[in-house]
Amino acid sequence: MFKAVIIGGSAGSFRVITKILQSLPKGYPLPILLNLHRLKHVRSGFVEALSIKSNIPVIEPHDKDSIKPGNAYLAPSNYHMYIELNKKIALSTEEPVNHSRPSIDLSFETAAQTYNKNLLGIILSGANRDGAQGLKKVKELGGTAIVQDPKECEVATMTEASLRVTDVDYVYTTDQIIDYLQNLK
Amino acid sequence: MARYELGIVDTRNIIKAIKEKYDFNFKNYALTFFKRRVELIIDKYNLKNADNFIRRIENDKDFFEIFLKELCIEITEMFRDPSLWRYLKDDFFPQILQKSSQYKIWFPEVSSGEELYSVAILLDYLGVLDKVQFLVSSISQIHLNKIQEGYFDYTKIDVNESNFKRIIDEKPLSDYYTIKDESAYIDISLLKNIKFIKQNTIFEQYPKGIKLIFYRNHLLYFNQILEERLLKSLYNCLVPGGHLIIGMNEKIDYWNSEKDYILVNENEKIYKKKLA
Repeated sequence: MFKAVIIGGSAGSFRVITKILQSLPKGYPLPILLNLHRLKHVRSGFVEALSIKSNIPVIEPHDKDSIKPGNAYLAPSNYHMYIELNKKIALSTEEPVNHSRPSIDLSFETAAQTYNKNLLGIILSGANRDGAQGLKKVKELGGTAIVQDPKECEVATMTEASLRVTDVDYVYTTDQIIDYLQNLK
Repeated sequence: MARYELGIVDTRNIIKAIKEKYDFNFKNYALTFFKRRVELIIDKYNLKNADNFIRRIENDKDFFEIFLKELCIEITEMFRDPSLWRYLKDDFFPQILQKSSQYKIWFPEVSSGEELYSVAILLDYLGVLDKVQFLVSSISQIHLNKIQEGYFDYTKIDVNESNFKRIIDEKPLSDYYTIKDESAYIDISLLKNIKFIKQNTIFEQYPKGIKLIFYRNHLLYFNQILEERLLKSLYNCLVPGGHLIIGMNEKIDYWNSEKDYILVNENEKIYKKKLA
């Protein structure tokens, strides 16, 4: 039923996302879209760090790259990452939103408009409120929303902000998220 | 603070209205980008919906100019991607400008001065600014006027300073600008050899004999059709062996594009027009 998974996170999400990527098998049937805040000037190294333990390729996409199942696409630093209706990546240097570029909200909202009910959105640990509006949009357009259990988060601001504005489907620990994702194949 | 959301049909109607009234065609702009810009303008100017936007655009030519300005994305950062600028300073410019006189650099679609000022500062630092002629084009007269004055956004100064320090550490960036009334202005003497071109539509005028084109993070805003058309236009403006620099996460990839351009620096996205 799902056609794509989108995951947003910030402070404290690196270990969680590494664990998730590590748990997904090569040839995973869905594309994974990742929007993780990080230092702006750290241009390279992040993809490599995420790739080390990942079974699926982690790609920092170029503008207009096609989204294919079995790959993880990481929003490049200092760009917004949109999902176009034709299922391609569109990058943008428009102004930061809520001090963030990439903005998790913008990636989630555009992915929701493209995949509608076939989108799974997940918000992980983080230190600001980015992502809350995006996850709300996923839910509004019929998608499924998961938030990492705030009790487990290193920094719970982001997950709590999401829970305040959206009646999410599941509040899950990292292990439960992994279980859920593994059962989608 | 729910943002106004534009539907696809509304977006198409807006594009059609602008085409009919002003003969500007935005059909081949990247859809999400164009939609989002119009949404932001509708919110910012309190227009509430697409119909009001269309009415305003049709009846108010000044508002159309504002629309063009808002549509152009300002690059609010000097020396964005420091590794590129380091490469230009240490390798590219010293090599190229040693051989070349009459070196023409074109900025085809400029919305703010940051990129141009960065090049001018770098060339001044290298002592070769006098060898270079700049051409600067924009569809927005509002932006061109600001750039002519050397204006840039003072609130982004910290990023500019920290980028600059990664490239040149002998002197501070503040040697090159002054602050007046909470605005920043680049030293105007850096901008003396510049021709400004107001375009009525993107690429109606094609300068010739260009040796270097800065076109970073502009292709992002066009769909595949327009992207290819623009890259072919840029190709025609370049001298054989001339260079084109695009954004870090852009690439030249149309059918048979390897016949036109060679990628000469993959990390910094510098392409070269093939020798005939």
